[in-house]
Amino acid sequence: MKVSYQWLSEYVDLRDMSPEQLAEALTRGGLAVDGIASRNQGVEGVVVGLVRDMEQHPDADRLHVCQVDVGQDELLQIVCGAPNVAPGQKVPVALPGAKLPGDKQIKRAKLRGVTSNGMLCSAVEIGLDTRLLPQNQTVGLYILPEDTEIGADIVQVLHLDDYVLDIDLTPNRSDCLSIRGLAYEIAALTGKQTTFPTDIDVTLPNEPSPIRVRIESDRCTRYDALVLTDLQAVPSPLWMQMRLLSMGVRPIDVIVDVTNYVMLEWGQPLHAFDAGKIADSTIVVRQAKAEETLVTLDGTERRLDDDMLVIADPEKAIGLAGVMGGENSEIHSSTTRVVIESARFDAPSTRRTGQKLGLRSEAQQRFEKGIDPAVVRTALLRATQLLVQLAGGQISGGVATATTDAESALAQRVPFSPNRCRELLGCDISDDMMHELFRRLGFTVVEDSENWMVNVPTRRPDIALAADLVEEVARLYGYDNIPSTLPLGPVTIGNRDARQRILEQVRNMLVTRGLFEVRTYAFTSPEAYAPLQLAEGNRLRNMIPLAYPMSDERRVLRTHLLPSLAEVARYNLAHRVDGGAVFEFGRTYEADALPITQQPREREVVAMMWFGTLPDSLHERARPYDFYDAKGAVEQILDGFGIVVQYERAQEPWLHPGRSAAIVCDGQRIGFVGEIHPTTAAGYDLSTTLYAELDVAQLVKRHTTSLLVESLPRFPGARRDLALVVNKDVLVGKMLECIDELRSKREILRFASVFDVYEGKGIGEQQKSIALALSFGADERTLTDAEIDEAVQEVLQVLEAQFDAHLRG
Amino acid sequence: MDLEALKQELATLHTKALQELEDVQDTKRLGEWRVTYLGKKSELTTLSKQMGQLDAQTRPLFGQLLNERRQALESAFTSKREAIESAEQNARLAAETIDVTLPGRHTDVGAVHPISRVIRDIEDIFLGMGFMIADGPEVETDRYNFEMLNLPKDHPARDMQDTFYITDELLMRTHTSPMQVRTMEQMHPHAPIKVIVPGRVYRRDEDDATHSHAFTQIEGLVVDQGIRMSDLKGVLEAFAKALFGEHQRVRLRPSYFPFTEPSAEVDLVCVHCQGRGCRVCKDTGWIEILGAGMVHPRVLDMAGYDSSIYSGFAFGMGPERIAMLKYGITDIRQLYQNDLRLLRQFAKV
Ligand SMILES: [Zn+2]
Repeated sequence: MKVSYQWLSEYVDLRDMSPEQLAEALTRGGLAVDGIASRNQGVEGVVVGLVRDMEQHPDADRLHVCQVDVGQDELLQIVCGAPNVAPGQKVPVALPGAKLPGDKQIKRAKLRGVTSNGMLCSAVEIGLDTRLLPQNQTVGLYILPEDTEIGADIVQVLHLDDYVLDIDLTPNRSDCLSIRGLAYEIAALTGKQTTFPTDIDVTLPNEPSPIRVRIESDRCTRYDALVLTDLQAVPSPLWMQMRLLSMGVRPIDVIVDVTNYVMLEWGQPLHAFDAGKIADSTIVVRQAKAEETLVTLDGTERRLDDDMLVIADPEKAIGLAGVMGGENSEIHSSTTRVVIESARFDAPSTRRTGQKLGLRSEAQQRFEKGIDPAVVRTALLRATQLLVQLAGGQISGGVATATTDAESALAQRVPFSPNRCRELLGCDISDDMMHELFRRLGFTVVEDSENWMVNVPTRRPDIALAADLVEEVARLYGYDNIPSTLPLGPVTIGNRDARQRILEQVRNMLVTRGLFEVRTYAFTSPEAYAPLQLAEGNRLRNMIPLAYPMSDERRVLRTHLLPSLAEVARYNLAHRVDGGAVFEFGRTYEADALPITQQPREREVVAMMWFGTLPDSLHERARPYDFYDAKGAVEQILDGFGIVVQYERAQEPWLHPGRSAAIVCDGQRIGFVGEIHPTTAAGYDLSTTLYAELDVAQLVKRHTTSLLVESLPRFPGARRDLALVVNKDVLVGKMLECIDELRSKREILRFASVFDVYEGKGIGEQQKSIALALSFGADERTLTDAEIDEAVQEVLQVLEAQFDAHLRG
Repeated sequence: MDLEALKQELATLHTKALQELEDVQDTKRLGEWRVTYLGKKSELTTLSKQMGQLDAQTRPLFGQLLNERRQALESAFTSKREAIESAEQNARLAAETIDVTLPGRHTDVGAVHPISRVIRDIEDIFLGMGFMIADGPEVETDRYNFEMLNLPKDHPARDMQDTFYITDELLMRTHTSPMQVRTMEQMHPHAPIKVIVPGRVYRRDEDDATHSHAFTQIEGLVVDQGIRMSDLKGVLEAFAKALFGEHQRVRLRPSYFPFTEPSAEVDLVCVHCQGRGCRVCKDTGWIEILGAGMVHPRVLDMAGYDSSIYSGFAFGMGPERIAMLKYGITDIRQLYQNDLRLLRQFAKV
């Protein structure tokens, strides 16, 4: 909220506080001041002048030569190009030597041969915010009211010596949405006194109001209305316009300006209706009817529903309660009888209505946070006073009013224990100090030994519980005065659980293997999944949509990490990175059916991708990544956690059918590794790319933590190498599994590994040569050649039987 | 043959052998020398065979002399061999010289993402203070994300966090705070609770240099009997010192969160200027780093911890902001761009 420093200083003495000091005090009290702006954008030496006389410039059609009275002995001759310049106008005059915003310096000059002793100024030239001015004040010269004093410094006249504080109010502090509320707050924070004017001087006629008011909904606790006649919709006085401008409100005419001014001063939104448009002189506050419509002041037709509260006459709605008035009861220049409304509407209802209709008026922002019921009548009287003073209004009858029972239950009495307060803050604040702090806040305390009852004025609806009072005490006492301690209580052990440890270990393994961790977004689009070639009904297509996405590219929750990593690869290749390996710990969001009715499964996976080429180095040639780079990473993780798996040919449409595997453990698939299908890769602008993923929950479930060492062999073992020729399509993994099975029969056979695979010269066209190493050993003796040979023979027989394997000749 | 003549012959032979040895420069010639002077067909051997012609009295004398000469030659040979081998090795080593300034052979290492790095550092600090780490769902219910945190429907404070809804009741969590409630419900009635919760959160903010529709948060929660606001200050101070250095201090400013009361914004001494004032801290010397407060009694009560007996504090911070401050990153989007040229700079221990 933008706040005028000068206006504040009227209600609390700020002579010893600069705007900066005030901002610091407010910020440290919980009202964060985001900025302080001087209203003066660099105006110096500009005074009020009266255009006495005006002649056409002899040599320029668009220029006029004016004789201007600036309160000096002689008139100043000033050449002016503004289209609206006319004799009798009072305008800002930049005298020679004057400074204007944008470091402009005004000098005596000759314009087409005619001497000009200064410049007549427009609104923008003296730094006014033209977005908030009526258009007729922004084009050409800025015309000042007739009663403005000639020769007066424009800085004083337009209150440009004021400062505007931009306060980032938290939503609980509705009481600070007004100058008076802020004055109370400043007084409480600084220990100063407020200096509000005492009485509002209005005499109401001792006769009934010409209108009647009726409340038909529990969402309005009070509705006051007063009729004024003979109002002149003239511009409001300059001081009022400037105060409105400084607080970001557009001056319009005195009637609207007064309602806004009182809202800024008291926090109570007011509304003015044309009394002539109200049928039967009766105002009804009621719920809207379903499908009822109302054209609001902004000219938009609004479709209402029965959750909304309207102001109506017996025939039609004439306003959206607390949100915006209706066009059908808007005041015009011809309006002579005006109804001023001051009421209290239900906060949540006002908020819902504003949200549904996309309206956020100043009034609605105040109602939705809660206004002070004690001020409803006062604000109405204050507006009446100003309208009588400034717009020549005549009061017609007394206040028409309606209230409901809820009205009386609004004052807060909050129980408070000073001991509990000290306990919660960890701070020894005396009872006397607490009394003093509450006094500064305007809260009264009824003391009953250890338990206090604190009466909170209705302007502070945010104070409802003892905890709220504890905060007030802490805030005013000063958070800086609270000491630093550590929790007492028992010692607790902090450690990572199995999942967290595994994630850390996997992260470290992959990083040491050269993979970079990435973080991608969970929101994506179905289009980004097109390259996956998913069939109709594939559950990866069950992407949960956001209700109101911010963009088409991010409108559903991801079901797979491959598209995310493919985008990382594509981005990097497009940015002159030759290749790389990345991984992410990410979640996929899996729904059985759409739309979802409960929280979806969030499956955590570690996904890895290798794209492009390994970098060229002094010691190693650049080469494209291949399947075995990916599989090596997967094996390292699984071996590290002691998880035994099989690799089976994968069937996924997004994987290369001949170069991919499903990773299976105990019959359950726990991940994939493979080359991305060339069509899928092309869909992401990628060439050969490898992908692997492992399900984190499966790693957690299946990892083994026990580590028992085997005793070291006491007798030498033996190794035999076999070169075997088999058909190309034989899977070496299956051969090794087969040898592994033999171990139960042949105890001396310890393990088998493959150390070479060869195809080509010397081997049949459809064949390959496999070099296996067999290790033998026994715990209690040295093996004989004979028994090793026997075991080797058995291996050969089994491999021949199952795989048609023959020793290479 | 008399002894003197043999002695003379032996001395001559000895001198000649040593002279020749002097000239030997390589292993091959050394071998030849050895055959010539110490081998089976050497003159020394020939001389020793003549010993038989001496009388029995002088024979031992000559034998001893012969032995001495042989040992002397063998010793000279050994020295020479060592000298030659050493020289030859030096020559070989000189020939093997390589350019030690060329780069070594690497297995290129990758890097932990800067956000993960910050999260890990922060986790380690709180683990050291006896906190556990918890994890929760990103798709949350309105109930846990808002209502149980004292944010009923139609509460204006809901505007503080613009929400991605999925249905009326399901949404992307806007903060990690729902885990305050979930943790309390899960731990109930156990105390103390000391937990931190890192995780991804989502808000309807347009992505720009300082906003991201997806970012991470770390929530902290302590609940027990006798937890004080001063404890919040002390724990955060210990945390700040551990993360940014011993000179750190924290400053609490009153603020508002619906689920804490009292609430505070927490500032640290600006890490750029150490409090002197700079562009990063807008010349205040302080940077806002987290939000915190005493757990609101309604939140405690709703989660089953009687607020007249228990109290607690909670805090929340943004690893992105900390990463940006620590590593000098000026645009939050860079943290989600995954540009390897940036990530490579984090390949440090
Ligand atoms: Zn700084």
